[in-house]
Amino acid sequence: MWRAMVTVSALELRTRLRDGTAIVIALIVPVTLATLFGLALGGDDPPLRATVGFVDLDGGEFPASVRREVLASDELKGAVTLRDLPGQEQARRALDAGEIGSAIVFPAGFSQSVGAGRGGGVSVLTSPEAPLAGVVASAIVDRISAVVDARTLAVRAVLRAGVPGDEVKELVERNGAAGPFLSLADDPLSGGKVDLSVYYGSGMASLFAFFVVGASFRGLLTERKLGTLDRIRAGPVAAWVPVVGKGAVGFALAVVSVCVCWGSSTLIFGTTWGEPVAVFAVLVAHVLAAAAITMLVASRVRTDAQADGVIMVVSFVAAFFGGSLVPLYDLPEPLRAVALLTPNGWTSTALTELAGSGAAGSIGAVAGPIGVLCAIAMVAGGLALAGFKKGLLL
Amino acid sequence: MTPTLACEGLSKRYGDVAAVDDVGFAIAPGQAYGLLGPNGAGKTTTISMLVGLLRPDAGTVLVGGTDLAADPRRAKARIGYVPQEIALYPELTGRENLRFFGRLFGLPRRRLAGRIEEVLDLIGLTDRADGRLDTYSGGMRRRINIGAALLHRPDVLILDEPTVGVDPQSRKAILDGLELLVQDGMSLLYTSHYMEEVERVCERVAIIDHGRIVADGTRRELVAMVGSADTIELVLDGDVAAAFAKLRTVEGVIEAAMTGAGSVRLIAEGGRYLLPALITAVEGSATVTATQVIEPDLEATFLHLTGTTLRD
Repeated sequence: MWRAMVTVSALELRTRLRDGTAIVIALIVPVTLATLFGLALGGDDPPLRATVGFVDLDGGEFPASVRREVLASDELKGAVTLRDLPGQEQARRALDAGEIGSAIVFPAGFSQSVGAGRGGGVSVLTSPEAPLAGVVASAIVDRISAVVDARTLAVRAVLRAGVPGDEVKELVERNGAAGPFLSLADDPLSGGKVDLSVYYGSGMASLFAFFVVGASFRGLLTERKLGTLDRIRAGPVAAWVPVVGKGAVGFALAVVSVCVCWGSSTLIFGTTWGEPVAVFAVLVAHVLAAAAITMLVASRVRTDAQADGVIMVVSFVAAFFGGSLVPLYDLPEPLRAVALLTPNGWTSTALTELAGSGAAGSIGAVAGPIGVLCAIAMVAGGLALAGFKKGLLL
Repeated sequence: MTPTLACEGLSKRYGDVAAVDDVGFAIAPGQAYGLLGPNGAGKTTTISMLVGLLRPDAGTVLVGGTDLAADPRRAKARIGYVPQEIALYPELTGRENLRFFGRLFGLPRRRLAGRIEEVLDLIGLTDRADGRLDTYSGGMRRRINIGAALLHRPDVLILDEPTVGVDPQSRKAILDGLELLVQDGMSLLYTSHYMEEVERVCERVAIIDHGRIVADGTRRELVAMVGSADTIELVLDGDVAAAFAKLRTVEGVIEAAMTGAGSVRLIAEGGRYLLPALITAVEGSATVTATQVIEPDLEATFLHLTGTTLRD
């Protein structure tokens, strides 16, 4: 049976090589895409600069500690400027006017509330026009949250032990629980350092994977029209042979296509998409999901022309909402939730994570997105098989 | 003897419409069997079930004794299927098409090369084997369409309207080739709109209409269903009335009627052999200037059984 499948695959590959589509989609287009995005968006990045508004309505130890830490941080030196603002309204106006990229707001009584074990909340104002400043402010607030959580826990524990209120602060800090001292252990700019050529190059590769793999499943419908599919099925072969035989070639060409895009971007422009094994795993999982979705389309339409139209619509919708065409952080919040319904959204999230982490990234860090992509592939593939069983395979 | 192909109780419904209803027949080894029916009669649906493309709602298909539903791969390996359309790849050469389907049927590489040459020779396309299929004439495409079904030496060849749209020369070549295959012992299931093709190729014929087989038998048996009397048309010169009176008394004449001033129609048994007696009978009264004997045929049987002609 495998011999029959290899025969179908060999014919599919030979046909795609002979009509030139294999070379175009597996080599020429990805190299061209990587080159265009590298030239347009890559190269030496301009220095990263961000102005973060600082609203201190608390006047206590916490805001002072944050200010000290930011100004002392080597990673932020020369890149991040703090600008004091008297209130949240002023910060909002400055943000709208583009004078600052983001703002951190400490409410009145924040330090006292944390010191008493009641916790506290810090607000962050961001603008879609200054993603870098948003990343910095969010990173700082993440650290503040961790410190506040630890401090609150420690204070509550001490209070429950019966220590008088005026001795709690001294006891907690003497015994090593985190005080109002912020430590920026990680580089807060890492999330903003993804090369745009990598972002858009991988986005285009994700989009193109749909077209590449979709062409093979579309071919099934062309064969049905020609009558060759029935002729194959009338032979002594299993029902899955033509579907898997053609799909395997589409899958392989799509994997080659996205990998050539990645390789071109890396070799020609020296960009990094992150840890290679993890990047490869994400790309393969994406192609698998794209293959299952286009197979589902092919199983539900009647003609190859219909398949062309539907695959194109599905590909662009998934690419748009999934961040392949527009960065996810530029999308409004509700649309960012929609991104989670598309394979492109998970692929984009995973590749951004890997590109931001550099060589330190690992497959474990993107196991979640890979798992979701595989789940999408299984669900869409299952529905597709049911459709084929009804329409093509008996 | 085990039939090469047998089906029993085959039925297929689409909603309220019974496309095929309780169809059954058997084809012996080396027998050519015809399936006649107008468009929409259920021929292609029946064939689709026989080759495993369509799952019947009821009924069984046995290929050389193997149940198609229980062991489809083994059963299908004994069938050669020639679809109505040219189900081949137009961008490939004739030889490449044959090679693809030969491999699909599991023929070993070395044996396949020799078998392709044999088939090309059989269908008369050796000289054009390396031309792309989209450069072939309609007749050549029909022949290679049949050739692709012969590679694995099937026990039974199933042809769905194999001569649609071909010129008379190619049609003759195809029918000659099929007769040779039957002579060599291959069984044949043949559907066609062309009565003369079925009469020429098939020794047994089933007539299918509205999804049901309404008659099944040899050509002679089917024709006998509408009676064995011939129609004789005579054109006379002379005393036609006297001649008509004499003709009615000739032994074998069942009915006689004047159809014009100088023409007579007779219904008679063995009309062709009766002509000399008819000519002798009218001597002295009139002279026979023209004759036409119309024998009952499958067309008449078909018309009688289905109330329609094949080309309706």
